[in-house]
Amino acid sequence: MFERILIANRGEIALRVIRTAREMGIECVAVYSDVDATAMHTRMAHSAVALSGSTPQETYLNMDKILDAALATGAQAIHPGYGFLSENAEFARRVMAAGLVWIGPPPGAITTMGDKIESRRAMAKAGVPCVPGLQDPVDDFQAALTAAETIGYPIAIKAAAGGGGKGIRIVRQASEMESAFRTASGEAKSSFGDGRVYLERYLDHPRHIEIQVLFDQHGHGVHLFERECSIQRRHQKLVEEAPSPVIDPATREAMGQVALQAAAHVNYEGAGTVEFLWSNGEFFFLEMNTRLQVEHPVTEMITGVDLVRQQILVAAGMPLEITQEDLVIRGHSIEVRINAEDPSAGYLPSTGVLHNLRMSGGPWVRLDTGMFRHMEVGLTYDPMLGKLIVWGPNRTAAIERMKRAIAEMNVGGVRTSMPAALMVLEHERFVAGDFDTHFLESLEIRPPEQYLRLIVAAAALYRHGLVERSAMDPLASERRGWRERGRREYSAYARRQLERGESQ
Amino acid sequence: MKLFVQVDGREFEVELSHVAGKRVMLIDGEPMEVDYRAADALGQVILMHAGKSYGISIEGTTHQVHATLAGHAYALHMEDERERAASLAAKAALGGGGPLEAVMPGIVVEVLVQEGQQVEAGQPILILEAMKMQNEILAVAPAVVASVHVKAGDTVPAGAVLVVLRGLES
Repeated sequence: MFERILIANRGEIALRVIRTAREMGIECVAVYSDVDATAMHTRMAHSAVALSGSTPQETYLNMDKILDAALATGAQAIHPGYGFLSENAEFARRVMAAGLVWIGPPPGAITTMGDKIESRRAMAKAGVPCVPGLQDPVDDFQAALTAAETIGYPIAIKAAAGGGGKGIRIVRQASEMESAFRTASGEAKSSFGDGRVYLERYLDHPRHIEIQVLFDQHGHGVHLFERECSIQRRHQKLVEEAPSPVIDPATREAMGQVALQAAAHVNYEGAGTVEFLWSNGEFFFLEMNTRLQVEHPVTEMITGVDLVRQQILVAAGMPLEITQEDLVIRGHSIEVRINAEDPSAGYLPSTGVLHNLRMSGGPWVRLDTGMFRHMEVGLTYDPMLGKLIVWGPNRTAAIERMKRAIAEMNVGGVRTSMPAALMVLEHERFVAGDFDTHFLESLEIRPPEQYLRLIVAAAALYRHGLVERSAMDPLASERRGWRERGRREYSAYARRQLERGESQ
Repeated sequence: MKLFVQVDGREFEVELSHVAGKRVMLIDGEPMEVDYRAADALGQVILMHAGKSYGISIEGTTHQVHATLAGHAYALHMEDERERAASLAAKAALGGGGPLEAVMPGIVVEVLVQEGQQVEAGQPILILEAMKMQNEILAVAPAVVASVHVKAGDTVPAGAVLVVLRGLES
């Protein structure tokens, strides 16, 4: 087993890896950018190496600096986390060429699965179901009608040169084809200067469901059931759960087998996720993520398997500790992402300093986060600040537990996505399990009316307190600082109060 | 003095006074009995009302406050009578113009106007890059650029004043 590994990442995922590595008796080397000099992962690792600079290109994406850090500290392996260099085949090759172990899949698997077209071709060859359709454009509506028979209705006519929803027409029966073909082709021509269109099966109420797989270097693989990730916006997931409320045991087994088949086809090693679109009982391959995923904890919660531990064991060449027969689903788990964004204002990114943090706790609540008091949230890195994860004996209990955990949490200083997640959890359609990938987009995020008067009273008294304090200490009320900086969301005054509070 | 509190598209009038050493609060003319205690200097507050206790997180300034209660987020804007009169006077002086603020944090890519320049409705004032997208910030009405507060390359937080326009309508 490794004595020392380097974690080429930051934030909650770096911390997540450090925690398991510590439990395995492995020393951790962290790397950090200038702004992360006081970050949690920098503090919690056994040692930390500065990657001078602050942009991702200068730091967590800089292969030379990371490899130098690993070699200088005597790390034997590199864990890439997710994002940054985790799906970079060139980096994986360079890690291995430097005589280090890459805690991830073989570079060839990363390359094949990283290319949308190539991966679908490979999967079709492996017998994995993909969304039925034609790669080539159709010439006229007669040809479209013939092709539609093999694809099956409903059909989506899409612009070959397209994107952004332009030139898309849904055809539910053959009689609609002629006019839909004409308008789609016309719209494609006027939008993109290219009237060519192709056909694909249209998926009604699609759900994003993915299967976790784990393979060792000896050809042994298991799947760890599904995760339901349909609560998303612009492909950014917000609420994830396991198991999915719509997947029955037979479908679960079928999807698991297909996922194993897909991974085996590219000689996969380590932890990976095969993503599917599910619609009315049918499922189709979407893509494979060749890394640990953000939402991996819900799988850990229902299976009791530490996925990072398995990744490290596999990378060290050891056979998997578990067989498919060992794996059973226990209870239900939900994860909510804490993103620095304002869901009541179109999910715009939010920046600030986290000076008022209150964390959730209690039974079966897990908080994976790199947040700390006084942390500055800027625009340099991903807006995800952490994840709240709960477990319950069943879905209802897990939903109630998550609502309780969100109510306990406060991330003061920035707006977060949590109120949106809370509205999802309180929504009757979510509770009934009746939702698709468009559901979150349809929600208007507003606070409930019942507490408005209380909040107004609290705000008025808060202001009263600020005014009273500034009357006693005229210097503290000086607002020049924040006015000049363009009315930042926290005042210089509040910060001075804070510093004063700290030094007392 | 009256305090106007705006939240979620609504406005409340709050009156705070002391009667015989006791604090009395009226919201829209109706008495609101609360016991307010700050648990720390960072914004953790306990509010007692009608026999119930509410843990509220609150942070901000005398004018812009953000509060969280039971997982729900509230953005509040406050001004008292004097401040409201001043801001109305300022608005009148600007004649339909006013400060153009960044709605999201970003980086100023290019400033397309200069002080004193006249702009038409719909004319781009500057380009702001946020969320990896370049957004043109447009004038909504004909105006004169009263002042420019940023330059290309500046990183601006949400709410930052970018330029101030003086309207031509009045």
